[in-house]
Amino acid sequence: MTDLGLYRHLDQMAPWNDRLQVLEVIGVSDEAPDVKTFTFRSDNQTWFRYKPGQFVTLELPTPDGPLMRTYTLSSSPSRPFSIAVTVKAQAGSIGTRWMFDHLKPGSHVKAYGPNGDFSLHSHPAAKYLFISAGSGVTPMMSMLRWLNDCAPWTDVGFVNCARRAEEIIFRKELELLGGHMPGLSLGFMIEERSSREGWYGHMGRIDAIRLPLLAPDFREREIFCCGPDPFMRAVRGMLEAAGFDMTKYHQESFAAPMVEEIPAPFAAPDSVAVPVEAATPIRFALSDVDAECVAGQTVLQTARASGVRIPAACEFGLCGTCKVKKVSGAVEMSHNGGILDHEIDDGFILACCSKPLSALEIEA
Amino acid sequence: MDARNDMLRLLNSRREGFSLEQPFYTDPDFFKLDMELIWYRDWLFIGHDCELPKPGSFITVQIGDYPVVLVRDQQGKINAFHNSCRHRGSRVCNTDKGMAAKLVCPYHQWTYELDGRLLFARQMADGFDKSQFGLKPVACESVAGYIFICLAKEAADFAPMRAMIEPYLKPHRLSEAKIAFESTIVEKGNWKLVWENNRECYHCAGNHPELCKTFPEAPTVTGVQGADSDPEMLAHWAKCEAAGLPSKFRIDPAGQFRATRAPLLRDAVSYTMTGKRAVKKNLSDSVSADRIGTLMHYHYPTTWNHILIDHAVTFRVLPISATETAVTTKWLVHKDAVEGVDYDLAELTHVWTETNDQDRRIVEENAFGILSPAYEPGPYSELHEGGVIQFVDWYARFIGPRLADDGRPALRSVA
Repeated sequence: MTDLGLYRHLDQMAPWNDRLQVLEVIGVSDEAPDVKTFTFRSDNQTWFRYKPGQFVTLELPTPDGPLMRTYTLSSSPSRPFSIAVTVKAQAGSIGTRWMFDHLKPGSHVKAYGPNGDFSLHSHPAAKYLFISAGSGVTPMMSMLRWLNDCAPWTDVGFVNCARRAEEIIFRKELELLGGHMPGLSLGFMIEERSSREGWYGHMGRIDAIRLPLLAPDFREREIFCCGPDPFMRAVRGMLEAAGFDMTKYHQESFAAPMVEEIPAPFAAPDSVAVPVEAATPIRFALSDVDAECVAGQTVLQTARASGVRIPAACEFGLCGTCKVKKVSGAVEMSHNGGILDHEIDDGFILACCSKPLSALEIEA
Repeated sequence: MDARNDMLRLLNSRREGFSLEQPFYTDPDFFKLDMELIWYRDWLFIGHDCELPKPGSFITVQIGDYPVVLVRDQQGKINAFHNSCRHRGSRVCNTDKGMAAKLVCPYHQWTYELDGRLLFARQMADGFDKSQFGLKPVACESVAGYIFICLAKEAADFAPMRAMIEPYLKPHRLSEAKIAFESTIVEKGNWKLVWENNRECYHCAGNHPELCKTFPEAPTVTGVQGADSDPEMLAHWAKCEAAGLPSKFRIDPAGQFRATRAPLLRDAVSYTMTGKRAVKKNLSDSVSADRIGTLMHYHYPTTWNHILIDHAVTFRVLPISATETAVTTKWLVHKDAVEGVDYDLAELTHVWTETNDQDRRIVEENAFGILSPAYEPGPYSELHEGGVIQFVDWYARFIGPRLADDGRPALRSVA
């Protein structure tokens, strides 16, 4: 372990440089079933400079070769000497499972970042609504912790949906922050009761009826949404249906989307979507469809949003079912071994885990 | 049940040195017993390491009722699995060969790692334990470029085979070779007839004009006895061993596998019409001695082989039914040998393509004749057909005790 005896002040230190320094695990803690927080530091001359809500990419040295995994930071830059990711081991996850099995205090990991635009720092507003499902809570937690440290009177609606009560991540800490932040209103919603924890709050799935109950003045708020794709599609759909100004809506998808498909209560409306951020054109040649890929979306999500069917199964880059030919353009792909190097050389991509870096033409 | 007793009775009463009774070559129930007691129990040659060049390369094979897939994993190890999805049993790999990042069942996309672990099964119930549903492994051993599998629950010890054959094969570096050509033919005859025909050259003069240009018909070369009193064989072994190539005739005590090096006729070095080499490049960078002839090795029940200075020809026998057998031939050359430059494919494959076709016709005629109600076992030539006698003895010695041990009282059928 790094010697912690040498204490320095922030002005005597330099920001972490991902090309020069690896991370060291200084803590591993359980948050909820199959959810752990890994806390990292660099060395005693380094602090972390980032926006709350940003992500890092960890390079996990698994026996099958390095795996690149992107995780949102749950820590806050208001506490700059360490960073933390809070990760859920989904069914079939390889990277996260490897972290659970191998990362212990003292382990070293190479990392890149932090990066990303999903932050209240990029979209300052008077009032916020943070709406998340499952481990989509992590960027929200980062932002809320920052607000608690730096602007505790901020008006924040905080809604988190989980399958069961005991699966709500950070529940105790959120309740604690509720006592510190006069402008924080918390709303939780679970899908099913469990014998492990009593529940007297909202039950079911978020919909047009329940959203106003959880956040009555949602129309006045800058909305940040993070969770599995079907959840985000549903939220987006209800906001659009409610006539919400979509320039005030921001979403962040998971690095590894949940495997469970949650049927969206609303079908995606016929693309009246106002582009949220820079959108990249994707042409699906066989279907003769021209689509726009919203920042952060995968090729598969864009295909679905525009009615183009690409078969998919695991949706985390493992099974290869969504392999399609890329006729032109460039993507960044973070697969889990579901595609061979020579297939990539031949121009194939896995649609579920590829995001466009330029305009694309896809054979689909 | 009755077949078991009939088979045991016929084995116990068979005449040594004579061919087998008709049902051994024709009867579907006897064939089932062959499958259960020999093919599902013994080590079987499937293919070559060089057919699985990279992680993710796979080949499939059907052994009787068992579909099997062989795949090279991320660590470079070759694994064999039952090619049947643990979901509902569908075949996972349904092509002869290919490359796959993961083994994905086409039915419901259950996704397996190349080491057989189930990685992903979409939307199964909570608490579904993936670790219980990996692909079922099949025993798999790789020796000097040859991959063998064994379907038995408890595979026989492969170590004796490895210990004997490895020194002979190693210099030829077949795991670094490439397959220049392969062919599979179906012979309408029982697998034992295919072997019996292979185990003698008594038939060569009348049937194999191309092969006979270079291959000696002497029983001391093809058979299993007398080689060590043949001065020509002794001289050849001495010469090759001096060049660092293990060559002497060696046979497993149970008779299941054998290796020996034999000279070709006159100054022939390869199986071509001229006797000249078919491939400019030597097969192995480690073997360059002059006129090393052919290294012949067999392993019952699946393979016989010829390894020459410039190429190797390997054979795989797989039974399809009581009266049909698939024979797969592969021509291996140095991995850097270029077709059309270092070798002419037609010339390389000509002799054995013709020879295989001639053997097919012989075997089919043999099978045809055995169907006659008038057929009865006939005597083998001890001089020329020692190899056949040895093969039939091996078969009787292997299947007999297994028939008797299989927990069923071997009652005589009441006539």
